[in-house]
Amino acid sequence: MNLDPSFIWTAGLSLLQALPETLWITFVSVAAGLVIGTAVALCRMYHIPVLSQLSAGYVAFVRGTPMLMHLLLIYFGLPVLIDGISSAMGWSFTSASIPLIGFVWIAFSITAGAYMSEVVRAGIQAVDKGQVEAAQSIGMTTIQTLRRIILPQALSVSLPNLSNSVIGMLHGSTLAYTISVVEINAQAQIVAADNWKYFEAYIAAAILFWVLTILIERISGWLEYRLNAYQRGGAL
Amino acid sequence: MSRRFDIQYVFEFIPKLLAYLNITLLIVGSSIVLGLLIGLIVALPRLYNTPVLKRLSQLYVSFFRGTPILIQLFLVYYGLPEVLGWIHIDVSRLAVLYFVIATYALNSGAFISEMIRASVAAVNRGQIEAAHSIGMSSYQTFTRVIAPQALGISIPLFGNLVIGNLKDTSLAFTLGVMEMTGRSQTLGTATQHFIETYIALSLIYFVISFGLEKGFQWMERYVNRFDGHRSEKTLRASWRRPLRAAPLLGKGGKSG
Repeated sequence: MNLDPSFIWTAGLSLLQALPETLWITFVSVAAGLVIGTAVALCRMYHIPVLSQLSAGYVAFVRGTPMLMHLLLIYFGLPVLIDGISSAMGWSFTSASIPLIGFVWIAFSITAGAYMSEVVRAGIQAVDKGQVEAAQSIGMTTIQTLRRIILPQALSVSLPNLSNSVIGMLHGSTLAYTISVVEINAQAQIVAADNWKYFEAYIAAAILFWVLTILIERISGWLEYRLNAYQRGGAL
Repeated sequence: MSRRFDIQYVFEFIPKLLAYLNITLLIVGSSIVLGLLIGLIVALPRLYNTPVLKRLSQLYVSFFRGTPILIQLFLVYYGLPEVLGWIHIDVSRLAVLYFVIATYALNSGAFISEMIRASVAAVNRGQIEAAHSIGMSSYQTFTRVIAPQALGISIPLFGNLVIGNLKDTSLAFTLGVMEMTGRSQTLGTATQHFIETYIALSLIYFVISFGLEKGFQWMERYVNRFDGHRSEKTLRASWRRPLRAAPLLGKGGKSG
């Protein structure tokens, strides 16, 4: 067995076909995770009675179990739940009409939500308490304070954490192959098995992920620079 | 797709899965020990600013932090025999478990080297100057002033790494290693009670991570017991612990 460098290029080109799938999984889980995470973090920070305990349990469970478990639990558990409910209610909707990638989206959004809630919480706590008091003293409501004062500042503080979470979800998307969604990892296996060149195919996959990760880091660095413009003082 | 949900199976499966806990813990333990060794070696050129080696260690860390652990597993499994074959070492007959441990060790090594670097950098610069000014040598400064403080700083980061590593071991089944997740697959296939198996497995992982987290919190308090400021901070609500994706050590959603 010898390394065939030219096959790394060939495999890389075929992996690009699966790139959109990987990006979709990452994007949807991060976007949904941000929404869930913000809701969960706010529930916990404002000590809303039942919701804050539920949120605490959710975050603890998700962070204490592997991401693979979330995916498999959703993949095997959700159809049973949905079919049970829809047969009890007499609906015609069944779990068979959910595409495979739907399960991945749901499972990874749940994963991302718990991790994001920590990112959002850390960001909000980093905002100076005096800013909140100042906003309230000029008569802003809680919602206004959140939207105009806290969240914009929290966003710029939490960008490094956020980009780490995005990278984490990008890397986690490789797990989707366990339920036969063809993302980059699954595509690498297909190309490798077709040509019996496993090492080359995975080198290509690794390089692709490496490039994507560095790209995310660069973009986040640039965004951080832009968002912190107001703190540098003077003209941009 | 699978049979009716029956909670009874969850309790029945837990002991069956626990029988394979030792393999999971073996992977975690040995890869963390090896990872500490690798991490230290990789961190040194960057701590001492050694010209060429510094670049190499940066490249190593960037690669292992920039690619998914699952890809790394396959890369090592298929690649290591080939690469070692060039220097005429035959490892193709080695058990899969060793490849898995090697991958996790290489992966943890990258994260641990960043942890060491970050912890050493976090020690107040004035402390080092003070140590030098009372006549300590570089070696004395390191062992007496920097290392004890860096240790206290690194414990929460290290705890997160170990827990992340534990969760990552669930991927070893993809290469066919019979650890807890691998066992859960065979149990699920044999009984067709997948949901119950995964609930049982999740509970086990959860309890272990929770125990580890508490253990590391205790250790952190113990090591920092002379540092009033820091030990007080850790006493507060435990969920405030920074994500595994702390700014310096991001692995984010941590595939885990």
